[in-house]
Amino acid sequence: MISQGLKEVILKQLNLDDFDLKDETIAPEVPGWDSLNHINIILAVEEKFKVKFKSYELLRLKCVGDLQKMLDSKLNK
Amino acid sequence: MLSFTPDDPLIFTTGLFLILFFFFLLIYNFLLKKPSLRIGFLILFSFYFYYKSTGYYASILIVSAIINFFFAKWIASTENFSVKRLHLFLAVIINIGILAYFKYTNFILQTFSDIANKDFSPLDIFLPIGISFYTFKSLNYVFDVYFDTLKPTGSFRNFLLYVSFFPNILAGPIDRASDFLPQIEKEPFISKEDFGKAIFLICLGLIKKVVIADYISINFVDRIFDFPLRYTGVENLLAVYGYVLQIYCDFSGYSDLAIGIALLFGFKLMENFNYPFKATSIADFWRRWHISLSKWLLDYLFRPIQMKYRTLRTFSNVIAVFITFLICGIWHGAGWNFILWGAMHGFMMSFAMLIQKPRVKILTALKIYNTKFHKFLQVFITFHLVALSFMVFKNREFQSVIDMLDQMVTFFHGEVFIQFVEQLPLIFGLIVIGYLFHFLPSRLEKFSIKFISSFPLFGKVLLLVIAIWIAAQFKSADIQPFIYFQF
Repeated sequence: MISQGLKEVILKQLNLDDFDLKDETIAPEVPGWDSLNHINIILAVEEKFKVKFKSYELLRLKCVGDLQKMLDSKLNK
Repeated sequence: MLSFTPDDPLIFTTGLFLILFFFFLLIYNFLLKKPSLRIGFLILFSFYFYYKSTGYYASILIVSAIINFFFAKWIASTENFSVKRLHLFLAVIINIGILAYFKYTNFILQTFSDIANKDFSPLDIFLPIGISFYTFKSLNYVFDVYFDTLKPTGSFRNFLLYVSFFPNILAGPIDRASDFLPQIEKEPFISKEDFGKAIFLICLGLIKKVVIADYISINFVDRIFDFPLRYTGVENLLAVYGYVLQIYCDFSGYSDLAIGIALLFGFKLMENFNYPFKATSIADFWRRWHISLSKWLLDYLFRPIQMKYRTLRTFSNVIAVFITFLICGIWHGAGWNFILWGAMHGFMMSFAMLIQKPRVKILTALKIYNTKFHKFLQVFITFHLVALSFMVFKNREFQSVIDMLDQMVTFFHGEVFIQFVEQLPLIFGLIVIGYLFHFLPSRLEKFSIKFISSFPLFGKVLLLVIAIWIAAQFKSADIQPFIYFQF
């Protein structure tokens, strides 16, 4: 389940009013989420939730659900 | 005839391959219910296929398979991140070291000699064909295990088949272990659609390679690229259009054959081309051209650099794109033309990123942003930038590129076009047909596959025989190796 906070950050970066982000959603399915824009989304998530991801962790992500899980694990530490 | 002959690789468009493959399919089908024998036979045939093209250098495949199988195993066996990283580092160094020895030793020594102003006689190093492709293919497995997105396979036999699989060993597609390994032990099942698709791709690949690429290259493109100053600007321009079509038909034709052949015995390989000249930007071009390589570079080179320097925002993309495409150029060959070609693509994409905002503003002010005209302009400009980069790619001497461009500007002589059409109607016709088919809606491809799938077996075989017959009519006496073999 993608949290409202994460969803808001992602949609804001992509200038989207709404998009149904699910756990299994992958970047190419979301309008505007390409390999270049990816960096802005990651930075925005890091800034908003005041967390810092490792490059290695970011390279493992396959879908939005993975991002949510990684974010949760950082926030619960 | 059946042993290794230097400079005569066992390519898909030869009669010998056709005969061998026929017997391969016959035996393979007998072994369908016996997985171990079937897989063993496939490995043996793959090794023979590669031996026929490289002789005893085929043993590099075993070395490559052992190295990557065990490094991946070691990476997965530890939780210690530093140890994981060390193993990855060693695997990359060994793989790239082997590749660099065969491919770049002479180029590096030559460059040093040139700098020192000394004479240089190249060392006698044989370049095993396909080495760039299977090195990257094997590395993909190690990277995925490192990123923990793939569990290492416990079967060395299956991994050996992944590395040596004959349809994609010489020139890709650079398939993903995560897609390929799970297919090995499943009993092959070829649906009606798959069979139709395989026949379609094999026919299409033959026509693209033998009828279009080879024919226009020998009879037109090469002549002009060899002596551009003997021809007018319009002929030079047509030769560039011809070459762009040739390299596409040559390489995508090869990929079609590889994918079709693998599909005939139940293996699905990844797509490698998606109408690249319909691209609306250079970045879009790379999402459609040699997809298996561009995805590899994206995942294992671009993203790591991009993420490492992400706080630099757009500049991290710029740096990552530029380095990625410089390496993409070097991967293609040991020559300054390839390095310059890669740098051009890196530069064009970086530049496009930096001017993106002002560009949108200007186009919006001109009221053409997101219109059909805008799209046409994007496709037109992208195609010509790609064509310019391929001029650099083909010409080992940069002076030839200058000469060709100079002829186009100062000695164009548009009226010669009529003579060209009259004297070389077949060449002109093939170029027009080649591009026309490229720009038709992609729905046509799906429709053709569906249509062929509905044929009875006899109809499919007949279609294949017709394609082979047409190809034989066009085939020149000299065997034309696929352009991408040299990489």
